[in-house]
Amino acid sequence: MVNAQWAAGELVLGIETSCDETAAAVVADGREIYSSIVSSQVDLHARFGGVVPEIASRAHLELINVVVAEALVEAGCDFGDLHAVAACHGPGLAGALLVGVSAAKAVALCRAIPYVGVNHLEAHLQAAWLDEPELAPPLAVLIASGGHTMIVIVESRGHYRVVGQTVDDAAGEAFDKVARFLGLGYPGGPAIDAVAESGDPGAVRFPRPMAGDGFDFSFSGLKTAVVQFVRRNPDVPVADVAASFQEAVVDVLSTKLFAAAHAAGARTLVLGGGVAANRSLRARVTDLAAAVGHRAYLPGPALCTDNAAMIAATGWFRLHSDGPTPLNGGATPGLRLPVVG
Amino acid sequence: MLLAIDTATPQVGVAVGVDGAVVGRVELARGQRHAEALAPAIDYLLRATGVGLEQLAGIAVGIGPGLFTGLRVGVTTARVMAQVLRVPIVGIASLDLVAYPLRQTPRLLVPALDARRHEVFWAAYRAVPGGLQRVGDYSVGTPAELVAELAAHGEEALLAGDGALRYRSELEAVDRVELAGPEFAAPSAGALIELAHARFEREEFSKPTEIVPLYLRRSDAEIEWDRKPA
Ligand SMILES: [Zn+2]
Repeated sequence: MVNAQWAAGELVLGIETSCDETAAAVVADGREIYSSIVSSQVDLHARFGGVVPEIASRAHLELINVVVAEALVEAGCDFGDLHAVAACHGPGLAGALLVGVSAAKAVALCRAIPYVGVNHLEAHLQAAWLDEPELAPPLAVLIASGGHTMIVIVESRGHYRVVGQTVDDAAGEAFDKVARFLGLGYPGGPAIDAVAESGDPGAVRFPRPMAGDGFDFSFSGLKTAVVQFVRRNPDVPVADVAASFQEAVVDVLSTKLFAAAHAAGARTLVLGGGVAANRSLRARVTDLAAAVGHRAYLPGPALCTDNAAMIAATGWFRLHSDGPTPLNGGATPGLRLPVVG
Repeated sequence: MLLAIDTATPQVGVAVGVDGAVVGRVELARGQRHAEALAPAIDYLLRATGVGLEQLAGIAVGIGPGLFTGLRVGVTTARVMAQVLRVPIVGIASLDLVAYPLRQTPRLLVPALDARRHEVFWAAYRAVPGGLQRVGDYSVGTPAELVAELAAHGEEALLAGDGALRYRSELEAVDRVELAGPEFAAPSAGALIELAHARFEREEFSKPTEIVPLYLRRSDAEIEWDRKPA
């Protein structure tokens, strides 16, 4: 069934359903993406201004078969060609995770192949290798999305150290809340990115929360500052407010990423997560890296945002390092990144 | 050979059967651990009965109403197994599976499953030659609403299911109402084999993508949204 050229390769089916994307992918040997299908539910959640867990879970269930089938068709293979199946088992929304985990275990059971439960955060870190197999640790990685904001030092592939994270809202959450307040729509990241283009990022000097305070982040105060400013200054153009807010977020994220890299002796910087698609953040990290002679590695938006190729690749990696996950493995909404002392 | 799965209540129920007769079944009443328990239970049951996956001609699944978390696990597993094995699938309401083992009663038969938040899922059935007939819709409401419906029927009724047991004192206060015991608390995986077999015989089966849980309740966010003034 499978093309002869893949006969030696180990095909892994990856499934991702931790938030509002239903995704499936087929990746060979943890490296080569044969297919990566992402079905976004953004339209279902837009009127609520954020992801509604029960709606997400129901949509995952309705979409899962079709998304998996598409991933196989696009890869030109069948269930019988799979070497293993991996699913994100946390962190994420409980009901949403259960759909992907149940689907993956059903495939594993029916084909008698290994099942691997994959940590979503580790998958974001491992995504970098899908684009750049030669990437050499140590790396300083910023993962920023609607669900998480953290800086991780990747000591080697599989060995991580979390050096900073948000103490309240995630960066993407701050974009959503501010965009909603400014009437710019949902999701907030792309909306603010677009409007900010015609605004002056220096128009308003918003606070840089926890600027001198280690590598942790706080974004809820910044959101409040935007709200208070607009109430007091209703005449300042929305584009200027959006650009100034974005400038504050980019400033904090990039400054802390470079400081963390410096402290760890890492000369390669990596971005991951939905906020990594923000053009202003990408430009800033690129410029700063050039200025100090570091290397900035920015995977394309398709690998930064939630996808199943990163789950399949990480599943392959973990299968070879730790072995399969037992079929009685569940989902863990609050799962943490596996770290080393 | 059919594989049957029901996870609409805290119970994880799995059975294999042939020609409508149960070959083996596993029913775990351990609560809230559907994702952990279901795949190993299927794996064990198939090994213990010596039934190979290639022998399965179809999958049957209880579609609720019931606990959303459990239903997601059972329905997703059934849908994907049917997809991988390329066999048809049948979805049957879990309330039917509580009622079916009690079908010999001449009384009005009312299974009620715990819906949490002080509500129950229920439906009413009557015996007809060869089985049961549902009289009325699948419903969700407070025990008081179920009490009102029973009073309106005004006839002898037999109640079953974990919802009935949980609100036993309120429900038994109604005239001529009796409760079935704890062995009838959850949907019967054996009943699912029997009922699904009849459906497969009539070729009334579905594609995996056509099977979705019977939620009866929308998400809180949608309910709140509709309550908002325009
Ligand atoms: Zn993510």
